[in-house]
Amino acid sequence: MSDTPLTPLEHELAELIINTLELEDVTSNDIDPDDPLFGEGLGLDSIDALELGLALQKHYGIKLDSDAEDNQTHFASLRHLAALVEARREK
Amino acid sequence: MTLNVADNDNTLAEVYILDWRGWLPGSSAQAPGLSTEANPTAADIPAMLRRRLTPVGRALCSMLCELDVARHNIPIIHASQHGDGQRPLDMLDAIAAGDPVSPARFSLSVHNALVGVYSIASNHQGSIAAIAAGGDEWAALLSEARGYLAEGWHQVALVWSDSTVPARYRAAERSAEAPSALALTLSLDASPTARPVSSFSARPSNAVRDQPEYLVHQLMTS
Repeated sequence: MSDTPLTPLEHELAELIINTLELEDVTSNDIDPDDPLFGEGLGLDSIDALELGLALQKHYGIKLDSDAEDNQTHFASLRHLAALVEARREK
Repeated sequence: MTLNVADNDNTLAEVYILDWRGWLPGSSAQAPGLSTEANPTAADIPAMLRRRLTPVGRALCSMLCELDVARHNIPIIHASQHGDGQRPLDMLDAIAAGDPVSPARFSLSVHNALVGVYSIASNHQGSIAAIAAGGDEWAALLSEARGYLAEGWHQVALVWSDSTVPARYRAAERSAEAPSALALTLSLDASPTARPVSSFSARPSNAVRDQPEYLVHQLMTS
């Protein structure tokens, strides 16, 4: 359980992550917006990164270059992801 | 030349079934080693790996965990005639519609993916082979197993799964009615409880393909 409440967009992204990545027994309340999504923290893997990239494209029209260096920053935490969506969303 | 390993050819050494597990979802049968759960719990597989598995994948991983084949890193041979029939077709539909394909689905669509998930979950570091044999899966499994045993392996683990084929691909009698799966350990040594493979058949008379379900029923009653 996180101490920091999620913003509406962070909540929406948390739901997107849980549903798209078929996470079992995880709710949006379990995701701390500052915790790492990959490796430690939520424990996502490289396939999840690709899957998440696809979901961002589908839902927000954001196209990420798969070997762009700033992807690591965008995917670092739910908060970073929300910042990316706010800055680059086309729908 | 015909490859003929499933018959009782006397020139071949007998191979023994040491232990087995079966999965017949929805079946009313009861036997030690048999699971009938529609979607197996697979509690031994970490949730982050388990989440991508279909019921047949969960069954396979569970059975291999129960047989503890990772303990001695014995070779694992997986056979499946059609793999996971529905998901690859879903991906083809996506491609045909010009939609991107799910990387997670794609990663599990290769034939050796299910046992690969097991190997990650259990830290199994032995050899893994995945085969499809056009309906002759049992014969192919035994042929592969004999190879490993002849090379000096003390035991080999076999897993065999069957899925229903999507209706669009289905030619009358070629598809299973329901998914099923089987895992067993084989050895050249006859322990007191071991059973010779030559006393089992994987193909009902008049059937055109080997069927794990048929073999599970024999193992249950033998």
